[in-house]
Amino acid sequence: MVMIMGIEAENKEIENSMRETARKLLKEKEVDVIIGYTKGTVPLSSAPIMITKEEDVDKLIWNNLCYVNLAKYLVPKIPQLIDPEKGDLKVGIVSKGCVGRALIHLSVEKQIDLENIKMIGIPCNGIINRKRIEKEIGEKEILEFFTSENDIIVKGKGFEQKFSYDEYINELCKVCKVKAPPTLAELAETCVGECKEISSVDDDFEDLIEFESKSSEEKWEYIKDSLETCTKCYACREACPMCYCNLCFVDQNKPIWFGKTTDLSDIIVFHLVRSMHLAGRCVACGACSSVCPVGIDLNLITRKLEKIVKERFNFTSGIDPKKTPPMMDFRMDDAEEFMLEED
Amino acid sequence: MKNEIGKLYIELGEEYNFFAPIKEKGNLVFKKILNPDDIILDYFNSKVPPKEILFPKTEVLFEYKTDGKEVTEIIERKDLEEKNIIFGIRPCDAHAFVLMENFFAFGDYQDEIFLKKRENSIIIGVGCNNPKSTCFCTSVEGHPFQKDDMDIFLVDLGEKYLVEAISEKGKNLMNKMPWLKNATKKDVQKAAELSKQAEESIVTKLDLKDIEKVLDPNFDHPIWREVSEICIGCGTCSFLCPTCTCFDVIDDNDQYNNRGRRIRIWDTCQFCLYSLHTSGHNPRDSCIERCRNRILHKFCYYPENYNTLGCVGCGRCIQLCPVNNDLRSIIEKIKKIDIKKEEKISA
Repeated sequence: MVMIMGIEAENKEIENSMRETARKLLKEKEVDVIIGYTKGTVPLSSAPIMITKEEDVDKLIWNNLCYVNLAKYLVPKIPQLIDPEKGDLKVGIVSKGCVGRALIHLSVEKQIDLENIKMIGIPCNGIINRKRIEKEIGEKEILEFFTSENDIIVKGKGFEQKFSYDEYINELCKVCKVKAPPTLAELAETCVGECKEISSVDDDFEDLIEFESKSSEEKWEYIKDSLETCTKCYACREACPMCYCNLCFVDQNKPIWFGKTTDLSDIIVFHLVRSMHLAGRCVACGACSSVCPVGIDLNLITRKLEKIVKERFNFTSGIDPKKTPPMMDFRMDDAEEFMLEED
Repeated sequence: MKNEIGKLYIELGEEYNFFAPIKEKGNLVFKKILNPDDIILDYFNSKVPPKEILFPKTEVLFEYKTDGKEVTEIIERKDLEEKNIIFGIRPCDAHAFVLMENFFAFGDYQDEIFLKKRENSIIIGVGCNNPKSTCFCTSVEGHPFQKDDMDIFLVDLGEKYLVEAISEKGKNLMNKMPWLKNATKKDVQKAAELSKQAEESIVTKLDLKDIEKVLDPNFDHPIWREVSEICIGCGTCSFLCPTCTCFDVIDDNDQYNNRGRRIRIWDTCQFCLYSLHTSGHNPRDSCIERCRNRILHKFCYYPENYNTLGCVGCGRCIQLCPVNNDLRSIIEKIKKIDIKKEEKISA
């Protein structure tokens, strides 16, 4: 039987079962704290929340605006997750697919121990491209937002506009193959809620055909044009679950490695070097683009890197906790043919 | 004179750098105008505050030449004498210039660059007919139609503007606009109505009275642990704040060509490097201390140092925080701190 459910009903169902799981985890003292999402105070937003009491569980929500990758709070671990007496708190974390991928990859990079973590798996149905909607609405203030059937509806003083859900979710979500946290037998203890058994990801990367058909000059123009307005607030870096360096390369000042100005050359160097550091590590959550205050979309660049890593090394990050990622591996027979290529 | 903004630009664009709101990649920003048709007149407020006109994200202070070892020549900048018109800014952002001046002209060290530019700028501001839901200027001693901080104040009456010269600078500039028509009584009346309507439409009201007295003794209150919980430590709230003035100074040395630039760039107390000592010690080691510093600076140190709040109520930090760490909720939590009870505990 094929069930057709509106996006709103689907969210409600996810939300209810998530709350139930969270309540159980707290009640049975399986975890000390739940990290999840709660309703945002401005339209088109949501806010992360940390819950320690059973009675607060109903503050947890699930909708298509839960864009922050919550794995962010675990590496480096924020002080609020460490008890001065007990040490590391046991954490339950509301996990859409890309949060699950981030957690798995962080454990592969030996940054977290999954034994102390419970993933509350959620079958994510795609995150709304809030920056695109904001841009299309223009100089009007969005005061209300809701989903109805398969539409996103935004309202304000004297206007109401409808956006098709399928069209207005993040580009990365449209091609996402890992909607719920991936789970393998060895992760059975970690995964509660809805996780999905998956061992490899098949992806044709068809969404990149248009970008790839551009000439090198056109690609360069695209990069320059899209990064121009960057203010170097580093929201993209800070929201990225994989950007956990104690000292980012751009902050190194003994000696200075890269310029910190907002000259276009320094902006481009920052973003391109950061994305290179994410090759084979990016979990395609799109948080970097969702949080950018000036609406820069970085996802085409990270997506292209994902494809290169898949083609060269047959690797997808955050799926298999036993597989060594290319960035952690060294082989004498590595062809390294890409070193001479232009793409 | 609504359709005469272009005329204003043509007349003044030669003599002045004419800054006005435009759309750039979908964001409203203040930029030097090259074509008056680009000016957007129907807007709430800019995403990046107009502080970047007087205090740019990246500003070359001077350039220098070297002989490979020593500096041989310093090339001073020449653009400080240029005259600017800053057209279309809102009262909150105009007031932010006054607050910035508190900082740049404080004590023995006068920041000549900022002050010179400020002196050479004429501010033509526009009253805010439609404040956003996150605007709270009336809670920080401001008003959507506050005109004191401008040289010329405009009220958008729909098909035309009501123009009022506020300062001497403004009066002189208005003399160059003989084509302005005399305002009627009705126009003035309509402006007063719009002002009242705007004030009434502000929904965000924060009780900030004596907030420094609550904050000052509660430096170690557990509330800071709570309000910083979800902060990811980016610079959005401070970079896009019209009153934040912190900067870093760096040398961009081009050793291959024996030259370099001394540059100042925006910096923020939200970055871990900001307060890192050379010893390796960092007094603001986590988001807890860094979040606290932002709030204390604006609502405690600022009133103590300058006798006014360090916030103009534009609401940008509320709108744009990547994790929706809402300043309004933070203020509410602070106001709930019971001073008397706290005193008992510390006694």
